[in-house]
Amino acid sequence: MAPKGKKPVPSKPAPKEVKKSAPPKASSGGVVKAKEKALKAKKNVVRGRHDKKNRKVRTSVHFRRPKTLKLPRNPKYPRKSVNRTNKLDQYALIKYPLTTESAMKKIEDNNTLVFIVDKRANKPMIKQAVKKLYNIDVAKVNTLIRPDCEKKAYVRLASDHDGLDVANKIGII
Amino acid sequence: MAKVKAKDLRGKKKEELLKQLDELKTELQTLRVAKVTGGAAAKLAKIYTVRKSVARVLTVINQTQKENLRKFYRKKAFKPKDLRHKKTRALRRALTPYELKIKSKKEQRKQRLYPQRKYAVKE
Repeated sequence: MAPKGKKPVPSKPAPKEVKKSAPPKASSGGVVKAKEKALKAKKNVVRGRHDKKNRKVRTSVHFRRPKTLKLPRNPKYPRKSVNRTNKLDQYALIKYPLTTESAMKKIEDNNTLVFIVDKRANKPMIKQAVKKLYNIDVAKVNTLIRPDCEKKAYVRLASDHDGLDVANKIGII
Repeated sequence: MAKVKAKDLRGKKKEELLKQLDELKTELQTLRVAKVTGGAAAKLAKIYTVRKSVARVLTVINQTQKENLRKFYRKKAFKPKDLRHKKTRALRRALTPYELKIKSKKEQRKQRLYPQRKYAVKE
């Protein structure tokens, strides 16, 4: 096909199909009109159009890719039947509290509890987990990774909690 | 605590199972604390049983979930990939039995006109 890229050309099949698929509905006058239109469109394709009516105005030197239709995803089936459950839930996050002498000192003096947590835990996750597990308010969490590759979390309790009471409740003392 | 048996678990509903899972996990937490604070030997021995009970509950949950999903997708044309046959990669890409069976018109004609003949030699 000649690279004309004019608008009437792509619409050529449409009027022809309209005529072919709907003969019973139109009156005789309508059918004749559709036929004329189809024949004209055919002539345009065969002979080629030379008019300038529908020529596009190019305002820039560059040719930019025209924006086409982007459909959202609508899969026929989910790729995975179930999504993975969160294996790192609050129970897996906090392994156990520390009961060393320095940890005990922290409970009494600084109102903090010391836990060994999972290495993949981060401070906000630790805060949430401690809140849920022991029903206490947490002021802040500091973490470090021990030389034996375990994560230690210093969990400072809110000032309205007493470290010793909470430790008793958990069972540390 | 009574021993957790899979047989009893299978009848339960999902919420009950999840609740039981929660209880077992909190128990496991307290046992771990006891381990750190030098608990009684009975407590330390219990850790093993509780761990295995947790495993049992999770197994039952996942098994029933998978089973229900398979039932749901049984009649459907497109299943999730983990519910399809695993076989091997090559077998999954191989031609289906139907595709192997189809013949062109030419071949059908040939087979009809020139079937394999069997002869016997007369003694």
